[in-house]
Amino acid sequence: MAIVYEAVPRRPILSLQAVTMATLIVVVAALVLYPIYYLIEASLTISDPNVRPPTAFGFDNYLALPNYWTIILNTVVVSFVATIMALAFGFVTAWILTRTNVPYQRTLEQLIVAPYYVTPLLGALAWSLLGAPESGFINQLWRHFGGEGHLIDITSPMGIAWVMALFEGSVAFVMIGAVMKSMDPSLEEASQIVGAGRWRTMLRVTLPLVAPGVLGAAIFVFAEMLGSFSAALVLGTPARFYVITTAIYQLVSQYPPRFPLAAAMGVSLFAVMFLMLFMYRRITSRRSYVTISGKAFRPRQMDVGRLRWVLFAVCVFYVFLSVVLPIATLVFVSLQKLSLSFPSFGSFTLDNFRQALSLNAVRSAMWNSVALGIATATIGVLLTGMLAWLIQRSRLPGRGVLEYIVMFPQAVPRLVFAFGMMWAWLVFPIPIYGTFWILLIAYLTVFLPLGVRTISGVIMQLDKSLDECGQVCGASWGYRLRSITVPLLKPGLLAAWLLIFVSSVRELGASILLMGPNSKVITPAIAEAWFSTSSELTAAMALIQTFVIGLATLLFAELTRRASRHGEKA
Amino acid sequence: MKDNVTAPAIEVEDLSIHYGTVSAVSGVSFSVNQGEQLTLLGPSGCGKTSTLRAVAGLERPSGGAIRIGGRTMYDGAKRINVPTEQRGLSMVFQSYAIWPHMTVFDNVAYGLRVRNEGAAGLKEKVHHALDLVKMGAFASRNASLLSGGQQQRVALARACAFSPSVLLFDEPLSNLDAKLRAEMRIELRELQRRLKVTSLYVTHDLEEALAMSDRIAVMRSGNIEQSGTPNEIYNFPRTAFVADFIGSANLINGRLMPERSVDGRIAVEVDGGNILLGVSHGRSPGPQPTLSLRTVHLRLSAEPPAVPENVWPVRVKRSVFLGDLTQVHVEWSGRELVIRQTTAAPRGEGEKAYLSIDPRHCVLLEAD
Repeated sequence: MAIVYEAVPRRPILSLQAVTMATLIVVVAALVLYPIYYLIEASLTISDPNVRPPTAFGFDNYLALPNYWTIILNTVVVSFVATIMALAFGFVTAWILTRTNVPYQRTLEQLIVAPYYVTPLLGALAWSLLGAPESGFINQLWRHFGGEGHLIDITSPMGIAWVMALFEGSVAFVMIGAVMKSMDPSLEEASQIVGAGRWRTMLRVTLPLVAPGVLGAAIFVFAEMLGSFSAALVLGTPARFYVITTAIYQLVSQYPPRFPLAAAMGVSLFAVMFLMLFMYRRITSRRSYVTISGKAFRPRQMDVGRLRWVLFAVCVFYVFLSVVLPIATLVFVSLQKLSLSFPSFGSFTLDNFRQALSLNAVRSAMWNSVALGIATATIGVLLTGMLAWLIQRSRLPGRGVLEYIVMFPQAVPRLVFAFGMMWAWLVFPIPIYGTFWILLIAYLTVFLPLGVRTISGVIMQLDKSLDECGQVCGASWGYRLRSITVPLLKPGLLAAWLLIFVSSVRELGASILLMGPNSKVITPAIAEAWFSTSSELTAAMALIQTFVIGLATLLFAELTRRASRHGEKA
Repeated sequence: MKDNVTAPAIEVEDLSIHYGTVSAVSGVSFSVNQGEQLTLLGPSGCGKTSTLRAVAGLERPSGGAIRIGGRTMYDGAKRINVPTEQRGLSMVFQSYAIWPHMTVFDNVAYGLRVRNEGAAGLKEKVHHALDLVKMGAFASRNASLLSGGQQQRVALARACAFSPSVLLFDEPLSNLDAKLRAEMRIELRELQRRLKVTSLYVTHDLEEALAMSDRIAVMRSGNIEQSGTPNEIYNFPRTAFVADFIGSANLINGRLMPERSVDGRIAVEVDGGNILLGVSHGRSPGPQPTLSLRTVHLRLSAEPPAVPENVWPVRVKRSVFLGDLTQVHVEWSGRELVIRQTTAAPRGEGEKAYLSIDPRHCVLLEAD
């Protein structure tokens, strides 16, 4: 092959990489900022909201917000209590699993993240069956054994916070656990060597070292709580107890809807969350200097003697409350004609499952969800993979901006985001509102941060020179992508695919606003069934969804395992 | 494969590289002749790797020009910047950058496949390259199962396989253990001679640079401090930095004695009255010149040696046994001098001895 040398080599004005970057920025900016723009516009509209574009603007909607101070107070109280509880769960379990010699550590570590996969919606349904003041099983048992009134009230603010905390606890565990794991034990040993006792060391060295990490987790969890929707929807709305997200949903879905007011609430909420996540980033980026070092070490573990079995029981009990008990409750209820805590033998039935599977709405919604999940995951992995690569590895200008836009949906509750989309796409010349397209676009947008974070984590572990070496060997960007980058990133891409798929199928906040009569998906269908049909049927539907997701996950894991084994042989 | 019309040599002109406001390389110029190996040597942070990466096109310079084989690859003024993949060179990375998802064969074949080499030629060239580094038996092995040394060899084979006109080395031996490093040093040198490929080599290891290079450019905080053959650099360091970085030297500062400094010779009066004779190596001395005396060039003897110049009686302060060498510290002109010698007899503290040095080994340094 002859290389023709020219006096002045031609330089392509637009490289493939630059074109890709420009296209991605435009696409992502459109996905993310277009709905936000309309959301803000709606919140400032004081003319008739049905006349679009609006004819008069003002701050009236924001000025009206103090009238809803009870809702704001409810939100803050519930989120605050839930954050404290979630942090307590997370801190205690993280400490037990990283710093003590508790038995079956590995297994426990895997079990404790399980609640995250159970989801707050399922948890809320199950805990409602367990803890409703009149019909809840726990209260039925309480009265059966001679108690008065009710033992717990899951529909109270504290009850709602409890359910939210149970399922966010595993998020707190992961975040705090990472901080505790990455702490160099020699920092503590140094303190003991100069004569400080165990308690003094804990107070003066250990706590200050983990404090920034815990504070970061607290802010992150609190922001998540402010934007959470499912638990408050299932447990709060029947008793007319509203937090901001459920209030927005109410304002949008009632007749006549009050869009501008809902938009003002949404914008205020996301402004607060944005601020908190900004603080979170600041805290966590400053933290790195203390705890993270490249050296491999095991955190020092305390020998707690016989207490280790007590600590083991604490962890198991958390998993029991958040996973075993809810699932068992749903199974128990779904198998009865009319759910009772002491059912007679004859009242067991499979009818609920039969009915759920025969209901056209459920069947089509389930398949719609799976198909949408596959589409979202496939397109999403392509999109977020490119984005992550460009953000982490390209040297093109504009990648900083790109990263900010991509991470933006993290700060916007999905319900609020969906509301912005609804409002934006209603006036879009192509009628996609009420179709699957809008759901697909919504899922792709709200899961951008999830995909980019997952894939970025893998990219950051790859040695840069693996790609540079391909470059030096003369391979173009496209060729390197095919031959080096994608094969090396495969595990990360597959993990991201599965995460996005599972998240799409379980999505509630965005779907509940955006699905149309001809584009039903399963999670909102379950929530609707809860309010309009029997709890036994709803339990059956929730279990079917869980089963389908579990099956899809197993199938996917098996397929990728085979593919990778095949690849190794070739 | 190669263009034979133009000479494949590297020319770097007034290259500067900035990272934000930090200047990593400021106005570096050098050239590498065809088939020659030039080593950029310097402590970490001196800009040697940035320079190499700029030649490869992996780093974007902020000014200057880079030409390879007569073809302009980068020119700040003319806004030319040829992408790495079109520069037709090759590189061995510090981390080896062996692709773990491919076999050894596929790793080595990569550059040839990019160039659409036919199946028969591909196979032959890959095996030839693997044989060069004695890895022929490992062709079908999965690359992730290789040891460090083997990865190093495969990386080398991969870099040579498509007969690039220029080979770049970014501290390729720094991740090997000392013994293997010494072995590979010689092997690499022979390979480079045999293939007659123009090489630009980056290292912070002095021995590596001395053993492998045709020429060395010593870098310090973004500038080339001195360049020349290994011999020249070692024997005639230009500045105190080079004298100190290349081996160990005693730097002696004194007052110039102009009447005795003629015909390339130089005489310096040191505090305490001792007179030191040396060579100026074509450099013009200032009023307070500094001379560099290599620790291995200084001699200690019990009896006064039969030379008329540069002999002084001294007292041993302490002596440290280093294995191959013994390091002796003596008191001289109110300061301490370090001598390294192979003599087995250790010298006791306070012992009297005669210190001497050939004036040819007392080299005038340029003012810093």
